[in-house]
Amino acid sequence: MRAAQYLRIWLAGARYSVVRTLMFRGDFIMWSLVELFWMGVNLGLIGVIYQHTESIAGWGPWEMTILVGTSLLVQRLLMGFFWTNLFEMGRNVRSGAFDFFLAQPGPVLFMASTRKIDLDGFLNAPIALGVVLYAVHQLGLSPTALQWATYAGMILCGLAIHYATLLFFISLVFWIQSAKGVEGGYFGLNEFSRLPREALRGIAAVVFVYALPLVVVTNVPAQTLRHGIQGSQALWLGGATVLWLSLAIIAFHRGLRRYTSASS
Amino acid sequence: MSLAKYRHAFVLGLQGNLVYRWNFAVRASFSVLHLAYVFILWGAAFSGQESLAGFNLGQTLTYFVTILVLQFFISAMNEDFEVSEEIRNGLINQFLLKPINYFAYRFSLFVSARLVSGALALLPLLLVLPLLWPYLQYPTHGWTYLAAVPALILSACLQFTLAYCFGLLTFWFLEIQSFVILSLAVETMLGGQVFPLDLLPAPLYEISSYLPYYYQMYFPAALLTGRIASPEAALQGLGIQLFWVLALYGFAQLLWTRGLRRHTAVGG
Repeated sequence: MRAAQYLRIWLAGARYSVVRTLMFRGDFIMWSLVELFWMGVNLGLIGVIYQHTESIAGWGPWEMTILVGTSLLVQRLLMGFFWTNLFEMGRNVRSGAFDFFLAQPGPVLFMASTRKIDLDGFLNAPIALGVVLYAVHQLGLSPTALQWATYAGMILCGLAIHYATLLFFISLVFWIQSAKGVEGGYFGLNEFSRLPREALRGIAAVVFVYALPLVVVTNVPAQTLRHGIQGSQALWLGGATVLWLSLAIIAFHRGLRRYTSASS
Repeated sequence: MSLAKYRHAFVLGLQGNLVYRWNFAVRASFSVLHLAYVFILWGAAFSGQESLAGFNLGQTLTYFVTILVLQFFISAMNEDFEVSEEIRNGLINQFLLKPINYFAYRFSLFVSARLVSGALALLPLLLVLPLLWPYLQYPTHGWTYLAAVPALILSACLQFTLAYCFGLLTFWFLEIQSFVILSLAVETMLGGQVFPLDLLPAPLYEISSYLPYYYQMYFPAALLTGRIASPEAALQGLGIQLFWVLALYGFAQLLWTRGLRRHTAVGG
């Protein structure tokens, strides 16, 4: 399939999602508020801690706001593009409804990952970006166009890593029949992406910085805005993206071989 | 009113919840992950200073460990969705025909569920207890524990009644999930689960102490960890907490009677 065909299929799915969302406008407004409130909770925590201290692991309040804003931005994009699709995948595999995607005229993973979009996630992404921009302004930073472009590329890498880790864990449903608890686990792990790299030491650094790229996803883009582009850090993020996407795709296709459809 | 039927509901609830013991255990294990995050974040915030708002690192971490345990013993988890499901699917009709109080029936199930989830939450915590032990600092004066007992019971009642009210909203709205998650965000923040409420600026803390969220989790946790300094403050808190339990119970009864007027039981 060519890229244009993928885009056409994705646009058809997006159009269906928009029409469906507009049919339930009240629900859309409520869910947008829900996401906005949760973003407020995360920023509120930072605000309260900095009422009583000047620095967290060497990061000041506005530097920390860039970090938290970056984490929220990646998470909102994940919610907008992939969240519903991946969670429905877990349920569909268990119930046999995953047959629907096998019968689609396209690669199974693409069809299953992109069928729906969530507008409320997208609606809050500009707000998360606004938080980052405001913090950059407060710090008196003036990132160059190249820095912003690199930051945008790193956000996409972060989105790919989050998608890949979620897909990897959801793919376990092919073996264990239930992906219950993965949601809680994802949010639990995602909390670490709001921590400065310098705060993690010892085994915590090994697990959350090196083994799972949770801290890298947010710290590297935030550092790019603060201190400029650092080649080694960018390569680390790029490498982690390729590694986790590969792992997730392999896990998904291995799992798919075990899938027995509902009609059998 | 015979209590035997509610005792049976409680026993059935225990059995039903034990079936899902692994779900609770997994959830509790993820909470330990959250605890690791809390330790790292607050450890970094305390770096280079002895205290924040008059409390040291040990006292702050003790507060978060206590909150975590209380979440599994007194928080409402799925009760709102369960009530909602029973209304939407018409399962509630059977309770309208029998001499059973639906609120008491659901409360019996809530108590059994929390006993199971609370006991299972202790297992992963016991595993990490040797790591937590050096930080834990609980108060030594007895009155805090005396006041904490009614505070914990009233907190559980408050948590359940609020969830029950959200469930009853199904009489008016088909889908309540967004209401519940929105309320959860407010409860998480104003209930002291994200940070101890005494770290708020004084006027905001004062306002929060009159809201029901304060008594859902923060108040019993603050008593147990010595953040409420005097017996007078504890008594005043218990009084406000009792008021909110009664007010919410009254509101739940109102929702129930009004909701039933809208409810249509169909089918044979």
